[in-house]
Amino acid sequence: MSDPALLSLTEVAAQIRERKLSSVELTQALLARIEHWQPRLNAFVRIEADEALAAAREADAELARSGPKGVLHGVPMAHKDMYYFAGKPAGCGSKIREGWIATQTSSVIRRLQDAGAIRLGALHMVEFAMGPTGHNAYLGPARNPWNTARITGGSSSGPAAAVAARLTYAALGSDTGGSIRIPANFCGVTGLKASYGRVSRANAMPLSFTLDTVGPLCRSAEDCALIAELIFGEDPLDPVTAGAPAWNEAATQRTVGSLKIGVPKRFYVDDLEADVAAALDDTIALLRKLGAKTVAVDLPDPGAIDAAAYLVLSVEATSFHAPWLRTRPQDYTPQVRNRLESGLAYSAVEYLEALRWRGPALAAHLEAIGDIDIIVAPAARAVAPKIADTDPAGGANPDAIKEMSRFLRPMNYLGVPALVVPVAHSAAGLPIGLQLVGRPFGDETLIALGRALQQASDEHLRVPQLQ
Amino acid sequence: MSERVTAERVKVFAAAARVPIQDDAAARAARAAEPTVRRLDELALQLPLETEPASFVAIARKGARTQG
Repeated sequence: MSDPALLSLTEVAAQIRERKLSSVELTQALLARIEHWQPRLNAFVRIEADEALAAAREADAELARSGPKGVLHGVPMAHKDMYYFAGKPAGCGSKIREGWIATQTSSVIRRLQDAGAIRLGALHMVEFAMGPTGHNAYLGPARNPWNTARITGGSSSGPAAAVAARLTYAALGSDTGGSIRIPANFCGVTGLKASYGRVSRANAMPLSFTLDTVGPLCRSAEDCALIAELIFGEDPLDPVTAGAPAWNEAATQRTVGSLKIGVPKRFYVDDLEADVAAALDDTIALLRKLGAKTVAVDLPDPGAIDAAAYLVLSVEATSFHAPWLRTRPQDYTPQVRNRLESGLAYSAVEYLEALRWRGPALAAHLEAIGDIDIIVAPAARAVAPKIADTDPAGGANPDAIKEMSRFLRPMNYLGVPALVVPVAHSAAGLPIGLQLVGRPFGDETLIALGRALQQASDEHLRVPQLQ
Repeated sequence: MSERVTAERVKVFAAAARVPIQDDAAARAARAAEPTVRRLDELALQLPLETEPASFVAIARKGARTQG
């Protein structure tokens, strides 16, 4: 039999329920891959092999005794180390939170547990999710499975590396300024940044309460939908989800022929590397072939939206961290401390004007897109750069690092959903993804298009080989 | 063109927030924030008096309702 670690989340979940595979078999298969890959990738911060196997044995026994607990019965998973599990550490990629034990469980983790998922361990992340590269001066960098000299992207560095290398069937990440989409793009996996307010952030580490979103990194859009169906919807513990619509599976069935796709005229298409530009052109051609109507669209000043997002993120992050900046500033790595100190530079009026502009900026965006369903745009202007060239502690240009999020932060400010799907590989063998950007609460439409693209291409099925 | 964000300003704000900051860090923070502040200055925002952060929620839900 082929390696069950290589199956998709949707496949293994079904095969466990149908008793074709056991949870113990899957857990052993993943642990075997983790043993080989972890020394090369640094994707995990904790591997809980014995506990995972014990949970898998219990899941198999429960299945035999009383049937599946839910759609993820017995499926092993690991998530970014910022989701709290009561009784477990959640280091948040930091020295400050090293050894801290959570007393509550994140609402999203609880929903996955209620569906039967079991825990494999915890995944690498950038310190307090403050950085787009995957470097972490405290933990060491995570490495890209397609080329371990390259960055994973961040801040959901471990989730992207682990999903790409088939060390977990899916992983939750977080996206405040691109932190799901950057690593999904660079590692060749599918990542969903949910609409703001559709997924609970309760008992997960915060970075910016205005911009934080929770979402999955998976092997396909189909797998993202499986996770989304479980985690989307209202949660009394997170007030921003009040009135949030639950996942609407029927809306994921829209046909490509019913979709109007917008292609930006500027900003997102400026100064692209040739491989990325070709991938965008090829995908637009494929969308037309699949029956989509494509139109050029002039989006309102993304640079200004990016600046407003950056200001809001900076101030809110500094506000969260002010108590530690007062008492333990030496326990941050210098790069993260520098970023937090920059949040002190903005006035209250500047912050509140940036915050108040969010609604009008979204209104202008909606006016510009008219009845467009989805915008297709690059996630980055180039493929994953080298770790050595982008090390914030090694003198890399901070502006160049900040540029990595320029196509992505506007969506956090606008609160709209975005799905990154791998669509090509560069001549050097590195993944190239595109982001599909939806209307507010239009997450399901993104899955519909992502699924269609992945039915027409096998890019998402490519698996990196251990070098 | 004079700077909008200066190290002196950062030090005043840091003191008000009771966060200790060194001179070189204040200068670095000012340099990092300056382009963002200038970029937003260029917008010359004239927000309607009634606009508040929660206005965003109403606009997002209206945008969702108009989906095909």
